[in-house]
Amino acid sequence: MTVALSGEKIASQIEKKFPESVIESTADSLLVKGDWLLEIAGYLKTTAGLDFDYLTAITAVDYYDYFEVVYQLTSLKHNHSLVLKTRCYGRDNPALPSVVNLWRGADFQEREIYDLMGIGFEGHPDLRRIVLWEGFDGHPLRKDFL
Amino acid sequence: MLADYGYIGLLLVVAIFFAVTTLLLPFSLSLPARLVIYSRRLRQYLDTHYPFLSKFVPPLPKFPKFMQIVPYNPNPVKSSTFECGMETIGTAWVRFNFRYYFYALVFIALDVLVVFLYPWAVELRQLGLFGLVVVLVFIFLIVVGYIYAWKKKVLEWK
Amino acid sequence: MEVGEVYSSRQLDETEGEAINELIARSQQTIPDPDQWLDEELKRNILLTSVDAMIDWARRSSMWPVVCFPACCAFEFITTEASRFDLSRFGMEIIRGSPRQADLMITAGTLTWKMAPQVKRIYDQMAEPKWVIAMGACAISGGIFRSSYSVVPGYNRIIPVDVYVPGCPPRPEALVHGIRMLHHKISKMSIAREAK
Repeated sequence: MTVALSGEKIASQIEKKFPESVIESTADSLLVKGDWLLEIAGYLKTTAGLDFDYLTAITAVDYYDYFEVVYQLTSLKHNHSLVLKTRCYGRDNPALPSVVNLWRGADFQEREIYDLMGIGFEGHPDLRRIVLWEGFDGHPLRKDFL
Repeated sequence: MLADYGYIGLLLVVAIFFAVTTLLLPFSLSLPARLVIYSRRLRQYLDTHYPFLSKFVPPLPKFPKFMQIVPYNPNPVKSSTFECGMETIGTAWVRFNFRYYFYALVFIALDVLVVFLYPWAVELRQLGLFGLVVVLVFIFLIVVGYIYAWKKKVLEWK
Repeated sequence: MEVGEVYSSRQLDETEGEAINELIARSQQTIPDPDQWLDEELKRNILLTSVDAMIDWARRSSMWPVVCFPACCAFEFITTEASRFDLSRFGMEIIRGSPRQADLMITAGTLTWKMAPQVKRIYDQMAEPKWVIAMGACAISGGIFRSSYSVVPGYNRIIPVDVYVPGCPPRPEALVHGIRMLHHKISKMSIAREAK
């Protein structure tokens, strides 16, 4: 069985390495600041004992005040998983760094988030719409689309 | 008369019937509609290039209704190449892998061998030991070529 | 698009997006169903009647469907095709991949605007005579997805539909009933009215 790691345990490890980056950590997930996302993701991938080398999914949630982007990471080596979250504020052009260079599977998933939620990913090699057609106006899965 | 030929005669009847229904009948039934389209195209061509000649082209006769069964309404989208609903991009003539050619070549050589083996196998008893030796020599000659191809790594798929 | 050129994915996407937007702009009205002859006075001459009957019988007795299965109604179509509710008794067990060899399009599934130009093209590439059965609520009017940003509200926006089979999904018996209704419709066709 894949063990779902508790966010609190990892939080202390990450706080030591990157001070002031963890906003909140619960038993299910770990919430970090957007500026530290790339470093924390790299740290999670490369550290022995954590080794999160497989990105299961990226999704985004639209709360009215902010967008929350959820990364579900799994380690094939140690058979444990973790949920990593960040928030981005602002509805006009929210942006986050792209994790494509760490996990190739993020490519299409980030395109889907861009397509449906409008969150741009900096550093993504080819950010364009994937499920809707070019020329479609708007980002449908936002709460204020209709 | 056909009965003298037995089953071959029956086959001939079936073949003629098949050819008539699949080839001649649709061709002749679609002729009126196609002639209409062709004459329209001819008229358009003449009107654009040689206007005074179109007087000399007689109008098509009105075909009886029972001859207008098969519809023929070509338009550019309908006659376009089928690619599962998308517009075709690029040409259809692509370069094939050369390894297919090697396999086909080896197959041809061995297939000829097999063709000669079949009648030998049918008349096995009459041909006896002498026949066996002859056939083994024949097989050996062809298998030499096959072994050459094998050693040259022609049959490997990389 | 030029033959022989290589296009980048972005160019392909942009061309596709333009085509879809044009199709949306063109499909704001439903296409009327082709049933004008059903209300007219029948003026047939005697010779034509038996020829008509024979031709209509030939046309309806083995209509071959073309592959058009965007969504879940396809499963009910497959069930109808299978041994319990046999489609082979109508001569329809062979589902042609190529539209040139087919004369029936059973639209089984929700159509999105992104897929719509392809379905329209396949319909256009079918040779006459051709008929369309709109299967399921999504094919008739967009179904429960009617107000979605990406769903075509019914196939009759882009292609003319002959028979509507309601259901979500319609049971195989309902689809067979729809096919039989199409048979009745075809049996009323006459070349005298068709060939104008």
